[in-house]
Amino acid sequence: MEAQLLIWIIARAAGLASYAALCLAVLSGIALRTSVLDFLAKNRALRALHDWVSWLWIPLGALHVVALLLDRTARIGPADLLIPFGVSYGAIAIGLGTISFDLILIIVVSSWLRRRMSDRIWRWIHRSSYVAFVTLFLHAALSGTDFNAPLISALSWAAALGIGLLGISRIVFGRLPD
Amino acid sequence: MATLPAWSLKLGAACITLASLAGSFDYASTHVKNVTAPLQPPVADRPAASASPSPSPVPSIGALITLRPGQRTAAPGSAAPRLSLEPGVRTATLAPLTFTHVS
Repeated sequence: MEAQLLIWIIARAAGLASYAALCLAVLSGIALRTSVLDFLAKNRALRALHDWVSWLWIPLGALHVVALLLDRTARIGPADLLIPFGVSYGAIAIGLGTISFDLILIIVVSSWLRRRMSDRIWRWIHRSSYVAFVTLFLHAALSGTDFNAPLISALSWAAALGIGLLGISRIVFGRLPD
Repeated sequence: MATLPAWSLKLGAACITLASLAGSFDYASTHVKNVTAPLQPPVADRPAASASPSPSPVPSIGALITLRPGQRTAAPGSAAPRLSLEPGVRTATLAPLTFTHVS
């Protein structure tokens, strides 16, 4: 298989797998503050899952980004990883991915530095993960090459809608009643 | 009701992620090009295939251009002649001809 072709396939596969793992991270994060998964596991186990799943989606997300950097057809430069809307085509679709990448980077770094910063600031930074997830989903829906495949589309939309409903209920109702 | 331990949740998450990675890799491998993909990057400045020349000579655009009488031709060795977008019909300096009778 040609190297450029392999890079292109890796970029697509890593993006989708990273999205799946990130859905699990967001779901377990919401479950920590609600009781939606209390029937499945205790908060201690959910917290362990939330922490551990970052070892899945961070390398896959990094692989997605690095593969797109190496892909000559995608024409994405290092500056486009941090500065949104600079790509000559699909500026909004790719720019939303850049925004989510920037937000996720801030969230991850702030989580590593959590003990060195105030809990209130960390909490507000961590809440921006809802915005990051929305921009990430819009990026996937607007630019995803495989997003119009029936199975991939059904799974992705179902995961996004489920997380969206849980997120809204978390914001509106707080911790759900037992 | 018994709840799941942390290791089983981690195992399940790893299985879901690996399954989605393998499934999407398989799908992308079998559907390399998607004409309905929302983004179609321009590929005009891809490196030209210089190793193998084209089998039949293709006439250059310069040979397809016919120059008007009186139009200067490009000097040999200079750049190809430019296309003129001026209108082809121009007003003449001759006196206008009028016919006032019909035979």
